[in-house]
Amino acid sequence: MPRYVMVIDQSRCIGCMACVAACKRENNVPMEHFRTRVVEMVRGEFPQLRTEMRSELCNHCDHAPCVSICPTGASHKQKDGTVQINRKKCVGCKACIAACPYDVRYIHPEHGWADKCSFCQHRLKEGKEPACVATCIGRSRMFGDLDDPNSEVSHLLRENSWRVLKPEVGTQPHVYYINQFPRKS
Amino acid sequence: MELSITGANAITYPVMHVWDWRVAVYLFLGGMSGGLMSMSAINYIRSKKGPVDSACSWQIPVMAPIILAIGLFFLNLDLSRPFHAFWFYLAFKPVSPMSWGAWLVLAIFPLMILYALSALPNAVKAKIKHAGLRGFADKMQPHLLKLAKANFLAGILLAIYTGILLSSLVARPLWNSAILPILFLCSGMSAGAAVMIMVAKTKETKLFFTKVDIWLIIAELTILLLFFYGHYTGDAAHRQAIMPFFSTSHDFFPYFLSIVIIGVALPLAIVLKFLEVTGEHTDELTASGLMLMNASAVLVLIGSAIIRFAMVYAGQLSGYGGYM
Repeated sequence: MPRYVMVIDQSRCIGCMACVAACKRENNVPMEHFRTRVVEMVRGEFPQLRTEMRSELCNHCDHAPCVSICPTGASHKQKDGTVQINRKKCVGCKACIAACPYDVRYIHPEHGWADKCSFCQHRLKEGKEPACVATCIGRSRMFGDLDDPNSEVSHLLRENSWRVLKPEVGTQPHVYYINQFPRKS
Repeated sequence: MELSITGANAITYPVMHVWDWRVAVYLFLGGMSGGLMSMSAINYIRSKKGPVDSACSWQIPVMAPIILAIGLFFLNLDLSRPFHAFWFYLAFKPVSPMSWGAWLVLAIFPLMILYALSALPNAVKAKIKHAGLRGFADKMQPHLLKLAKANFLAGILLAIYTGILLSSLVARPLWNSAILPILFLCSGMSAGAAVMIMVAKTKETKLFFTKVDIWLIIAELTILLLFFYGHYTGDAAHRQAIMPFFSTSHDFFPYFLSIVIIGVALPLAIVLKFLEVTGEHTDELTASGLMLMNASAVLVLIGSAIIRFAMVYAGQLSGYGGYM
């Protein structure tokens, strides 16, 4: 069974937002709701400025707080390492939204269930990449099986300095960020 | 730093706001209901030594499930798919406090109703038109003491579990404290004692629960101080999480106000109760004495409600790191 992860090379993101648009279109994400976002941070003081682009989405954590808190088992961890939502079982209690340290969930305005990135599970079943990865013009977003040592993501994580978001929460995320700038230890 | 986000969801940005007054009302009523279960049980269990207040002995056991049902009604209003709530009972998740809560309420409700039926005096039972129900209440009467003991424990569980639910959310540093369930337990018990004081008819019962409430409020205030101290000495996220309560800025004024009100209402309630306990009383309480007792009980209820509201709303402001 594969262990799917996403690797995001921040230095390759050009901020075109095609990933956000592709995700919305692929997954019929309702108006004014998003499964992925791009955070643009400008640090420093003029003229010494630097911009950091960071794509964010569900981290499909190994220790997912949303899965632990879900009272009905609607949010669950699959064998391929992804966190999915069984919409039928969701009661809309919103505990998973409160439990997620990455704030990537929302309530579907029409149906009332909790919703988030699924790593485009329907596309994975067809052997395709998630829509955001397929559309990423700068190859900033990469996707693959971490258990396959020859996969692109395994190679990238061996060769580069990377980090995960909010490691102090202890969720063991499956989305890795290749550092755009050298970070102070 | 300048920040722009493409793709932020309104429910989590700029701050999370998933739960509102409906959840706070549920936490308040659920805690109070738990407090009423335990306090009315204490009223029975202690009856070997002293007289039992006729009003407290059956009205409180009847009130407790009604208050819990009202709380659950508000909680259900908060669900975005209320008609799918049956899924709570098609799964048991041992690590989900919300799952425990759903099953706990299911187990507690029959216990509360059996206790209420067993506690009904004959005069009240005579008014029940349904003969089967009347007969069942008669059958339950010999088990009153056993049911009272079970209700005492169940009340503690009910009052504490709402705090456990919030404290298990690691992503929200304000809630993520093992002290929070104890604070909610104390606050729920104190609210229960306050209602007992208001409902009780005899001076002896009123004074007994006034003494109980003094200790509960002292414990509640001590735990509240420890809660803030624990956050203050914790990591940056925990320290930041309590900041709204101690900031006088416009954005956080309601939280600052809540601490001021709690800081005035609960100590004032202790003083009033202390005066009641130490004061000279005639056989029957005077009108002013009664008013004083009810006023201090109302102060306790206000404090208890504000703690729930402030925690529910302020907890949603807290988080790890934000978008930095």
